[in-house]
Amino acid sequence: MIFTGIEILFFSLGVITTLATGLIYYYNQKLKFNISTWISICIGVFLFIFGIAWSFSSILEGEPRAASMGLIVFVIPSLILLLLSRKLALKKAASK
Amino acid sequence: MSKNENSSKLNRRDFFKIGGITAAVGAGALTTFPQKTAAKELDKRLVDKIVTTHDDFPVEVRSDYVPPRNWDHVQARSFFVNEIRAIGETVEDDIVADGQAFVQKMNFAYDNDKIGYNQADKALLAGAWAMNNYAAGPSPAAVPNFGVNSWEQRTDKVQFALFDNDYVVKEKYQFESKQEAANQIKRAAKLFGADLVGITRRDKRWDYSKFLNPVSPLFRKPLLAPPSKEQMEELHNWGPDKFVNDWSDFPFEPKTVIVLAFNMDYEGISTSPSFVGSAAAGAGYSEMAKVPYQLAVYLKNLGFNAVSAGNDMGLSVPYAIAAGLGEASRLGQAVTYKYGPRVRLAKVYTDFDFVEYDKPKSFGVMDFCKNCMRCADACPTKAISFDKEPSFEPTHDNKDNAWYNVKGVKKYHVDAKKCFKLWGELGDDCGICMASCPYNKPDFWHHRLVDSITAAMPGPVHDLMREMDILFGYGNVEDKESIKKFYSPEGKSYDGH
Repeated sequence: MIFTGIEILFFSLGVITTLATGLIYYYNQKLKFNISTWISICIGVFLFIFGIAWSFSSILEGEPRAASMGLIVFVIPSLILLLLSRKLALKKAASK
Repeated sequence: MSKNENSSKLNRRDFFKIGGITAAVGAGALTTFPQKTAAKELDKRLVDKIVTTHDDFPVEVRSDYVPPRNWDHVQARSFFVNEIRAIGETVEDDIVADGQAFVQKMNFAYDNDKIGYNQADKALLAGAWAMNNYAAGPSPAAVPNFGVNSWEQRTDKVQFALFDNDYVVKEKYQFESKQEAANQIKRAAKLFGADLVGITRRDKRWDYSKFLNPVSPLFRKPLLAPPSKEQMEELHNWGPDKFVNDWSDFPFEPKTVIVLAFNMDYEGISTSPSFVGSAAAGAGYSEMAKVPYQLAVYLKNLGFNAVSAGNDMGLSVPYAIAAGLGEASRLGQAVTYKYGPRVRLAKVYTDFDFVEYDKPKSFGVMDFCKNCMRCADACPTKAISFDKEPSFEPTHDNKDNAWYNVKGVKKYHVDAKKCFKLWGELGDDCGICMASCPYNKPDFWHHRLVDSITAAMPGPVHDLMREMDILFGYGNVEDKESIKKFYSPEGKSYDGH
């Protein structure tokens, strides 16, 4: 075994973080986020990445219920926050 | 040409520029400070904030506290009934019955229709305990000076042995500093197989004041030569008047106690109560028979006296607290930072004292225990206290006759009699309290993070953490699926590929 799950997890987290940073930068240039959008998007991205890390780690340690709960407790709120961020950003862009 | 297209091209280029510069600066910083990476520094700062170091023993001890004797606990008074009676001490019939049932079931019984108690599970248990049973014998019941835990401090090699290093060499090794001594002793303990190690001063409060050892000296160690005339005479004259020793019989004055902790298998303990759970504990006991002995021989070869000990010689939990390995808890066991209560403890007593001693540390366990009570809820016989605050005296139903509880130390007192009753019913050593504890987790980053956050938070958050622990599915006990999970090859690599 060359890569155990934990190496793949942290590599994937790096990729997701880079993509998220790039997308935030790109959309900020296009839509110019306000403070509430920034707060919502930052918490959303952090929770999303944390939720993925939590759930993947729980699967690796053999606790599938903890993995499912990780998705419910961290990832679902993160998606709600990211959708809210999108709404806030588009609302601001439309009001210009 | 729109303004947007221009800014988009510029932005993309800027983005790659920023990314490139950041990567170059990051790589440069890492090579310039290889020993001081951001993660290491962050981790150290967080741990320093969460872990409190104490100069003195962090648990209140009343002035009338009296150290117990090694037979002031239920196992000794149940397993050595005749010997206890022979030295004029009392035994209680119900405890004797529980002990007999426990020994009968654990040694001879299995049930192929009962999950966790079939012949294969029994075989697992037997194998796990084998090294303890062979090398340290009754040490789990706190009987010292047996097998590898012998008090003997020879100064020469055994005549008939090809290889023998188990003697105190004449030349004492001089370490350059106390810190170097501590570093090398701890490294040796790790090499031999300890998961955690701490060094503390010998404290007579935590040593048994007297020792019952009914085994004749001739049968305490494998015979390396035919018994001598003196040994045969000693055997012939062996009797109750020689069963009890005290510290005046010990071959040297110990100054230092090295405390070792051994992590028990997480999946194994999760099966508690079962023979598989007991096997996880047994594997820990077998480590306790091996590693402290190796460390004692190491110290003897440095030129110092040393005696290894498992549960015998003294109380392991306060010694582990004093050596900075863990904190006291509701379930009566030391809760360690890395493995929670899922550890077995052992000790090495030595007269070596040129060493940097560790200090006791706390990280919020006792505060968490005040609100959690998962172990108390999970215990089928309700042997664990539901009191909000710890106390100097036991408060349980049998408190008026709790000769088995250490009094005068502010802690949660477990009703060992009720606990032992369950051992008799099950035929194994339970472990439900350990399995249910929120600090009992696999060694994964997210649990260390949660523990650290919990330690920094006030009481009401602890209640939430307890509920979340249940919701997330941790600490389930009496779960038959856990046996299947223990044996399942899923997630395990047996051939290393």
